[in-house]
Amino acid sequence: MKIFSVAHKTVFVVDHCPYMAESSRQQVECDVLTKSRGQGVIPLAPVSKSLWTCAVECSMEYCRILYDVYPLHKLINYVVSDSEFHILNTWRQEDQSTHELMSALAAVGPPNPREDPECCSILHGLVAAVESLCKITELQHERRTDMMDTAERVANRGRIICLTNAKSDTHVRMLEDCIQETILEQNRLAAGSDRLMAIQQCDLVLVHIHPQGEEPLVYDRPKKEISSLLTSEVHSQHYDLASTTITNIPMKPTLNVCEQEEQHANTSANYDVELLHHRDAHMEFFKSGDLHMAGSSTRENGLKETITLKWCTPRTNSIELHYCTGAYRISPTDVNSRPSSCLTNFLLNGRSVLLEQPRKSGSKVISHMLSSHGGEIFLHVLNSNRSTLEDPPSISEGCGGRVTDYRITDFGEFMRENRLTPVSETSHDPSGKLPAERAKSQLERHTRYWPMIISQTTIFNMQAVVPLANLIVKETLSEEDVLTCQKTVFNLVDMERKNDPLPISTVGSRGKGPKRDEQYRIMWNELETLVKTHAGATDRHQRVLDCIVACRSKPPEEEEKEKKKRGRKREDKEDKTEKNGSKDADDKSWQESERLKGLLDKEEPETEVIKDSPDSPEPANKKPRLSIEEVPPPERAKGPVSLLTMWSNRITAANSRKHQEFMGRVSSVNNKFELYQQLKEENGMDVHENGKSSR
Amino acid sequence: MPTVILMDVSLSMTRPVSLDGGDEFQRKNLAVHGLNMLFEHMASNYRLEFTSLMAFSSLWELLVPFTRDYNALQEALGNLEDYDKTCVESALTGVSSVVQQEWGSACPCQVVLVTDGSLGIGKGSLRQSLQSLKHRADDKKFPLPFPFPTKMFIMSIANAEELQATDAMNNLEELLHLSGGDGQIFTMEGPLCMKSVQAMFGRLIDHAYSPFHAVLHCGNLSSDVQVFPRPEPIVMDEEVDPMPRSINPDLELVGFIEIADISSPPVISRHLVLPINVNKEVDEVGTGATDELEEEPSASQMAGKNPNFCVLLHGSLKVEGMVALVQLGPEWYGMLYSQADSKKKSNLMMSLFEPGSEPLPWLGKITHLGPISEAAENPYGEDDSKSPFPLQPSVKRSYAQNVTVWIKASGLQTDVQKILRNARKLPDKTQTFYKELNRLRKAALAFGFWELLKGVADLLERECTLLPDSAHPDAAFQLSHAAQQLKLASTGDSQYAAFDHNIAPMHTDFSS
Repeated sequence: MKIFSVAHKTVFVVDHCPYMAESSRQQVECDVLTKSRGQGVIPLAPVSKSLWTCAVECSMEYCRILYDVYPLHKLINYVVSDSEFHILNTWRQEDQSTHELMSALAAVGPPNPREDPECCSILHGLVAAVESLCKITELQHERRTDMMDTAERVANRGRIICLTNAKSDTHVRMLEDCIQETILEQNRLAAGSDRLMAIQQCDLVLVHIHPQGEEPLVYDRPKKEISSLLTSEVHSQHYDLASTTITNIPMKPTLNVCEQEEQHANTSANYDVELLHHRDAHMEFFKSGDLHMAGSSTRENGLKETITLKWCTPRTNSIELHYCTGAYRISPTDVNSRPSSCLTNFLLNGRSVLLEQPRKSGSKVISHMLSSHGGEIFLHVLNSNRSTLEDPPSISEGCGGRVTDYRITDFGEFMRENRLTPVSETSHDPSGKLPAERAKSQLERHTRYWPMIISQTTIFNMQAVVPLANLIVKETLSEEDVLTCQKTVFNLVDMERKNDPLPISTVGSRGKGPKRDEQYRIMWNELETLVKTHAGATDRHQRVLDCIVACRSKPPEEEEKEKKKRGRKREDKEDKTEKNGSKDADDKSWQESERLKGLLDKEEPETEVIKDSPDSPEPANKKPRLSIEEVPPPERAKGPVSLLTMWSNRITAANSRKHQEFMGRVSSVNNKFELYQQLKEENGMDVHENGKSSR
Repeated sequence: MPTVILMDVSLSMTRPVSLDGGDEFQRKNLAVHGLNMLFEHMASNYRLEFTSLMAFSSLWELLVPFTRDYNALQEALGNLEDYDKTCVESALTGVSSVVQQEWGSACPCQVVLVTDGSLGIGKGSLRQSLQSLKHRADDKKFPLPFPFPTKMFIMSIANAEELQATDAMNNLEELLHLSGGDGQIFTMEGPLCMKSVQAMFGRLIDHAYSPFHAVLHCGNLSSDVQVFPRPEPIVMDEEVDPMPRSINPDLELVGFIEIADISSPPVISRHLVLPINVNKEVDEVGTGATDELEEEPSASQMAGKNPNFCVLLHGSLKVEGMVALVQLGPEWYGMLYSQADSKKKSNLMMSLFEPGSEPLPWLGKITHLGPISEAAENPYGEDDSKSPFPLQPSVKRSYAQNVTVWIKASGLQTDVQKILRNARKLPDKTQTFYKELNRLRKAALAFGFWELLKGVADLLERECTLLPDSAHPDAAFQLSHAAQQLKLASTGDSQYAAFDHNIAPMHTDFSS
């Protein structure tokens, strides 16, 4: 169906003239007596609907199904006609609801039988209907403005459904002529207006409403005239609807719903429910000619044909992703019957049901699924044919398939942080970007530095870096965030000083991998890389980078150079930081952070020691260990380095490449390896462990 | 999109091609040469395509059913025999049944018809088939259009001049038009020789069998991928927007959504997303690395060892049970997810939603999905116990709001009985009684069914007289109050018959 087919705009014109107050002569017994109370009570006389009531009921049922199946872009304008016309709503989307219409209809009330029939005519309404069809809808307006140069592609078609009691064939012809004339007249007017559009096509559906048992005064003509009680025939043709009957619905799963409705648990039989929906949901049957096999049946009332699908157990779960080729809203044909409401309530509670095509061969083919999404029920069409994508090469056979240490868990975490949520249209972003664009920007920020495999990264394998890594990707940082980042950096500095082991991957390198100082150099480099990609964002981001640059240990070669240049002269700290490329402003922040760091680590007096100063004494707690150390630990080589130390370091490094290092020494702290660490851990005692704690 | 090769093996295909000296060829040889070239191309670049080979003359025969084994197809080409005259109609009927048997009627298919442009004579000739098109019985309909979406490529082992000399070109054009028009006629340019047949099949390959390469982006992470099968351009509404839309070769992730939230959405097509190594000339898609020798690491093995974003994404999507929302072009989106073929094999799959800003009502407008970091509090809850989806429609559907429909008498009777049942349990059921009463009142007023209001008022008055002595005195008060209110409403007096007015229970106090 095209967007702007005749179904886009429908005008109901309902006759409100005195003769519509006549009885339809169809009697409804509303006093159904129960056996126990039958005696001695005279039942009330049955009531009968007026022609007007029939017309309103029909049209409201039409609207109900329409709004259920097509809540958008299929619009209804309701006009009532007597001595003048009354337009009950507009084309606007918020006016499209049965509640609005019912309220307006109640205000109109039934026709007044005492009104002068001479003044009253359906013509008033029909003229109003044509005028209304010329009025542009929101969607037409939107599309016309969108397309600018091709605005003429937006068509204006519509349908008038006129519910009246026609007097004769001539009367009908007169109505047709009148509409024809009005269209021509209105089209002339529309040519000169922005808010009006000329009508390109208009279908007139005349529904002749007459009392039961009385011979209709007009007979079927090419245009449809049907008697007072049939409505659904019109539906299916107007909106490409089709019908499905769900059969074999067991009582049990829906029982709790039924019980609320005071169900007397006497029926254990399965039941059927008929649903209306877009015809495309049956596409596969039509094409394959399977219609009869699929259990379609022809019936006397309602839609001519319905397709029967069988309720299928077991039910499906929501975390399964079905291959679904279409989803169509449904509306039960008999909305407030008990079976219908049992089924719809069951679905509205969030459960889904698979439906099976009954086949003669006995093979089970699941072809559809009923599922509700946010209070709307959809009939999903599932693919039941062989897939052309079967047996594809596994992803592990393709590019990157042999790599085994992808950061799957970390990326999972990343995905959860980058989940989407609806953002109200009114929320305004100063950048003028739509929410989806902002989501993309966030992805961009979060992936500026994102190593894909575990062995490519050190910092993301360290629990200690997490707070900084989580914060630095933010668009803006608060003062508090900056502090947290700085705290993280100081923590790392501390780790380095304590010589804590780093979770550096030894994959690909021979032997024990890089030495501890090398490890820290790699770690600092990586951290700097990460933060550098964000440093340009705000001053606060820059401050985090400055903090790292100021605090990090320098690569030994660089220090060597510095040492050589300066000889043994003790230069001031300021001088040194300047050398590191820090600016004055950063210097301040550096000092400030030093002060802060002191505050943070009050319990450890040795933190007052500034590692950059070569003369600082060794921390007190490390002194005893000196006795067993042959050489100062290389990573502590910040003080003056003797030629001997340099030479022996080199020899040790060269030797270490020739043999595999003893496990204990590799992960030792200051050449000391604590035994039975795991016991301590189990006892919940604090152990220096900088790898990620198991999550 | 599976392919059917429909090869003309009628006698006219054996006509010799005149060459300036050298070997003599038949048209059939040219056709076989072209098809071999096509198969070779597919074997290396379009390996996952299912292809079948059918030969036809006045009869048709399925030589190779749908397969990815291109050796088998080439072998069958080598063993073609020559038969009688061309009869396109019966062959197309054969295609229709073969395809539907294998893939059903929804799967789009490509048909490559290889013929020399001599389309048969007399009964069964294409000319005759087309002439009789309009006056046929329902059971003898022409097989085109096929029930499944079709792209028909007609490879003519003849040049355009030759086809235009007879009515063959017109007939082929009409055939193409009948097939749905989504295809093309290829003719040979210049003299009939190996070179020109290669050129013609080269054009077909470029047009329909060139792999679709794209780059998948997730912020700064990216991966070169092949999307298989090629996503075809689609037209949404011929009237408003007749330009076909194609997907952008830069596929940008927007964000991630839980599988339960996306909830089996309808899609227009599904595609495998296969990471590729762009440095290589030939794609390794589908070949795997199993048949390579251990000693020398092949290019594909090397590629296997370099981390690839697709593999990371696939792994995490699978573990987390999520899908990635991907933008395919302006106002066009799709989703990426892990699709398991069996327990061991799984793959990154992309499904395309219908183009438009709001393909899934329960997600709302895609452009209005933003990062959760913008929300005041995490809409998924701290422990992932909540979800912002699905969105609720602004107006409830009829089945979710207890509407009143009295088209069938039983609907009306049920509603009246409900009121009476509650009336007998007054004052315990006062609330439900008035709720049902007001529902009936509203509907009756909207439908202009005042007679019903009077009727129910009478019923309530009668109930009042039938109350047993043991009844609570309040019951009688409420019943007569309700009856009186209904009677007032049935007069249509605006004071009592307002739609939004509700009859309130009578205030009584029997506590003292």
